[in-house]
Amino acid sequence: MYLPKFTLESPRSIEEAVSLLGSGEQTKLLSGGTDLFPRMKYKLCSPGVLISLKGLPSFPPQIDEERKLIIDANISLTAITLSPEILEKAPLLALAAQKVATREIRNMGTLGGNICQETRCLYLNQTHTFQFTEPCLKRGGKECYFAPKGKKCWATFMSDIAPTLFCLNASVIVAGLDGEQQIKIEEIYTNDSLKPLSLKPDQIITKIIVPKTQSPSGNGFAKFTVRKTIEFAIVNVGVFLETEKDLKTCKKARIAVGAVSEGPQRALEAEDWLAGKSLSKENINKVSQKAASSLKIIPHHGYSKKYLTECLKIQSKQALNDAVEGLADQSNRGR
Amino acid sequence: MTTTQRKKIIGLTVNEETYELAVECQETLLDVLRNNLGLTGTKEGCGTGECGSCTVLLEGEPILACLMLAVECENKKIETIEGQSINGDLTPVQEAFLEKGAVQCGFCTPGMVLASTDLLKRNPDPSKEDIMESLGGHLCRCTGYNKIMEFVHHAAKLNRDNT
Ligand SMILES: Cc1cc2nc3c(=O)[nH]c(=O)nc-3n(C[C@H](O)[C@H](O)[C@H](O)COP(=O)(O)OP(=O)(O)OC[C@H]3O[C@@H](n4cnc5c(N)ncnc54)[C@H](O)[C@@H]3O)c2cc1C
Ligand code: SF4
Ligand code: FES
Ligand code: FES
Repeated sequence: MYLPKFTLESPRSIEEAVSLLGSGEQTKLLSGGTDLFPRMKYKLCSPGVLISLKGLPSFPPQIDEERKLIIDANISLTAITLSPEILEKAPLLALAAQKVATREIRNMGTLGGNICQETRCLYLNQTHTFQFTEPCLKRGGKECYFAPKGKKCWATFMSDIAPTLFCLNASVIVAGLDGEQQIKIEEIYTNDSLKPLSLKPDQIITKIIVPKTQSPSGNGFAKFTVRKTIEFAIVNVGVFLETEKDLKTCKKARIAVGAVSEGPQRALEAEDWLAGKSLSKENINKVSQKAASSLKIIPHHGYSKKYLTECLKIQSKQALNDAVEGLADQSNRGR
Repeated sequence: MTTTQRKKIIGLTVNEETYELAVECQETLLDVLRNNLGLTGTKEGCGTGECGSCTVLLEGEPILACLMLAVECENKKIETIEGQSINGDLTPVQEAFLEKGAVQCGFCTPGMVLASTDLLKRNPDPSKEDIMESLGGHLCRCTGYNKIMEFVHHAAKLNRDNT
């Protein structure tokens, strides 16, 4: 399968990349290409100009004087799993990166590309060469084939990494023609499957910032798939628990879920409920149920809403248990 | 300075030989290896990242040639299946593949060999789970994977015996 023709620009600075990006409608950013190229090969999009981010100056993850973690958006997913700074300050991010696709794709795919990937649906992500039907909404048509007679696109956002950045209260630095700005990770998502990102056409994510955390903390990430590897999630759940000094009482919980709707979601009701409570088995069970029943779930890739809700309960419990187990290990080491 | 590229003359270093080639921007490393250099050991199964049959080593790390632009591989070291044996001497990984009969139609074999070579370099004594993780992106429609698991364990042993 060949890629359609395009022109490649290889800027050497962010400023140059921004001005190239802002110069025309037909331009698109290229990082690892593992999301963009399959879409281009399937003719889901045909940008005339690609702006490669590979030639930009890069830097390894850094911890600044305020103990914030600063990560280059162009870091490969493999490098995330190996970075001592990330493993120390944001192990949750490494847990999720390790679960993406395969070693080959993690070597090529980047953090920026992962959180900016397109939404997917069973109908859309295939070759359309031999189809005689009208294109669906996402390809500029008038109908949705996933939900027939539907006037809305229901494609789901499958990133494994984005939910963990919600848990870590991360922000992104965005560069554009108007200069640089720092925005909360939540704000880059629109919850609109047709246009999942709020970024303007001239904007590039250059850095990801994870703020310093105060309390002792526990991390858990669960991804459910049938094949275990090289598969998008059926559901994924990230959990970040800040605790009191006893490591057994939850001070603040952040629970985020992906792959079941147009964008990542925080389970706010469940988070609020757990705050101040003991991390007992009973409470973990209850909070997992609450998380699953309070979120928007779109049936996707052949899985019904009922099935996904059940999966979500089990995976939330798994991620919470992993976080609690990690805390118990810390407590044993401290003794 | 920005470099605008439509067609570009590039130097590609494949299996320690450098080739000078005129390449269009949209041509993937897979297209160039197979169509321009005649190195057809690297296979195209899906073309979209799902099967692993196009795996090559770029700077020693396995990547998918079907999703990598050739022009972005300039000045980087590329290794394909053709460069594994030296003067006809197979590597222990290739020997193990033959001895265990882990091949039927052979379409997945180049990718499997390169991914296993990478795994054993990082982990000389991998567990069953390690092998499943590393070869998870490599589809085989023939063997049922048991022979492939056996071969990686055997290759690990041959490698250890050799050192
Ligand atoms: C077989 C297969 C399996 C996969 N499995 C998973 C999985 O299990 N989990 C998962 O999360 N993903 C998965 N992916 C999706 C994807 O490949 C990865 O998420 C990868 O991290 C994308 O990164 P990239 O650098 O290759 O992105 P690219 O393809 O280069 O870019 C993706 C999109 O983001 C835009 N973009 C890239 N960088 C920036 C930036 N800095 N600022 C603004 N926009 C930007 C691009 O314009 C493009 O639209 C899979 C892909 C394939 C082919
Ligand atoms: S859900 Fe969206 S992408 Fe899928 S068929 Fe409907 S309109 Fe197209
Ligand atoms: S041909 Fe590259 S992964 Fe299938
Ligand atoms: S031997 Fe035929 S695909 Fe693996």
